Amino acid sequence: MNLFAKYNRILLLALVTGLLAVGILFYQALNYTLNGKIEENLHEELTEVKDYTHVKNIVPAPSEDLNLVIEYSPAKTISNKKTIGDTTFYNPRKRQTEYARYLKADVEINGKPTHVLIFNSKDAQTRRVQLIFWAIIIPVIILCGLLALLNRYLLLKLWLPFHQILNQIKGFNIKRGNYQAINTDINEFKQLNDAVRQMTVQIEDDFKEIKLFTENASHEMMTPIAIINSKLDTLLQSKTLAENDSQALLDLYKATTRLSKINQSLLLLVKIDHNLLGEKEELNPAELIKQKIDNFQELISQRNIQVHCDFDGTTISGNKYQFDILLNNLFSNAIRHNKPGGEIHISVKNGLLNFENTGNADALSESQIFERFYKDPQSDGVGLGLAILKQICIKQGYSLRYYFRLPMHGFELQLAH
Amino acid sequence: MKILIVEDEPDLSSAIKDYLTSEGNLCETAFTYDAAYQKISLYSYDCILLDLMLPDGDGLKLLKHLKSLQKTEGVVIISARNALDDRIVGLNLGADDYLIKPFHLSELNARIAAIIRRKNNQHSNVLNFNEIGIDLNAKTVTVNWHEVHFTRKEYDLLLYFIYNKSKAISKSAAAEHLWGDDADMADSFDFIYTHIKNIRKKLSDAGAKDYFHSVYGVGYRFSDV
Repeated sequence: MNLFAKYNRILLLALVTGLLAVGILFYQALNYTLNGKIEENLHEELTEVKDYTHVKNIVPAPSEDLNLVIEYSPAKTISNKKTIGDTTFYNPRKRQTEYARYLKADVEINGKPTHVLIFNSKDAQTRRVQLIFWAIIIPVIILCGLLALLNRYLLLKLWLPFHQILNQIKGFNIKRGNYQAINTDINEFKQLNDAVRQMTVQIEDDFKEIKLFTENASHEMMTPIAIINSKLDTLLQSKTLAENDSQALLDLYKATTRLSKINQSLLLLVKIDHNLLGEKEELNPAELIKQKIDNFQELISQRNIQVHCDFDGTTISGNKYQFDILLNNLFSNAIRHNKPGGEIHISVKNGLLNFENTGNADALSESQIFERFYKDPQSDGVGLGLAILKQICIKQGYSLRYYFRLPMHGFELQLAH
Repeated sequence: MKILIVEDEPDLSSAIKDYLTSEGNLCETAFTYDAAYQKISLYSYDCILLDLMLPDGDGLKLLKHLKSLQKTEGVVIISARNALDDRIVGLNLGADDYLIKPFHLSELNARIAAIIRRKNNQHSNVLNFNEIGIDLNAKTVTVNWHEVHFTRKEYDLLLYFIYNKSKAISKSAAAEHLWGDDADMADSFDFIYTHIKNIRKKLSDAGAKDYFHSVYGVGYRFSDV
């Protein structure tokens, strides 16, 4: 639940409860006052009756007030007790049943004890109470509604800086950086803004430092690797090597090649990151893929892999060097993880490049395969090929997706729109 | 041939020097910018190997200096910096080749040999090894003046071995020569074996002697004996 909803819900609950309580109290007070007025009326009428009977010994003529009805009935004794209460009665003068307040008392008429029952219809009074009640309550409700609306608007406006900050944090990309400070005169948001800005600056600095470190470390390693390599070449010229020395030499060659490959891959990643690989130009993916197939011909035919191609004339705008690396990595991957007698399907259609190969019968984890140094335990690669592939796609603006449709593992790249 | 090696790393410098000297070249070394500057100013070479990152200066400046002296030495840049910009700047300044560390000495040697041949033989450019002739311009191979058909990779490989004749060349160096960065594929060593087998067969079918000798299973040597 978001903050506004929560706040409004509490506010609304309090308002409704308060309004109900006030309404009930108000209604009761109004009723009470008007009841008092009626009772006064009843007592006055009774006094009038008493006075009248006292003087004339007959009951008075019915009052002219249509709301006032007096009934007499003989009684056995006279008590001084008076009863007041609410009831309904049939008003013969208006010919309808009405709510009324009544006063019951005993008087002596012509020496006979008589019950006097005076009804005062509440009809008019109820109407009055309702009128007063609504006249006050309706404006209050409208006022509350207006307040709630104002409140909502104000809250949205006041919290605007918060949402701006939040959106920036959500959209923050370490590779692009550039957190933009927001304008606000609210202290809390100023502090938040400062804290986030400091944090992003720190993160960017750290990230740059890591990249620089990777770059420097890889560069520094190149020279020692070059020395090892050259010394191995020199050692190989020796004519006095024993048979088991040569196996060690072979292993050393392999390890050095691998080390240098890791190093070059890391440097390549840094370079792609820094956009150091030149300008974009118009490329024809189908042509470039055909050249690659030629280049990888031995590797492909050695494993009896069938390559099926399906190209349209799509041309794309991209960096040739990066696209070359991208294809290299796709091919190495598709050949390396293929099975003997397997297949590779390549299609370029409407700017969509699909690269599929047969391989293991299990799907790979999409979240893991693009990570650096993640690789299949049986693989002899360095585990950077797909990380480089992904990095190129990010930089060149190609969307990249892995999918598994038995028996093919596939990569789908959106090269152009 | 007279070669100047401008490289600040003594170990690497000596390995290069040993290899090139054993090929019959005369090598001089310079470890610093200043030493290289002096040698370039005073003497003439057939080829100069130039490291770009020297402790006291930028190798590209040496290249500019060399060109300002109107000298015609071939220049191979050897650098750990695999930056496209450096490569373009270097080649624009008149370097003949650009080799990224780490490299195999046989690769370096082949590149130097190719440059020197290009500089010395402007017209016909045929490399002979006994009965085998390689026309570097037409990229064709002849045995006893009869042309033998070679695929592009077989041609490259044969030329590489002839440039490094009498030297043991590891399969890894040969694979890197043919496939460059893609040479890390596990079975690329097997393909070297297959290619060599094919080359041997083509040459012997055409009546040439078998000059390929296996070296401890690590590589091959192309030599007369």
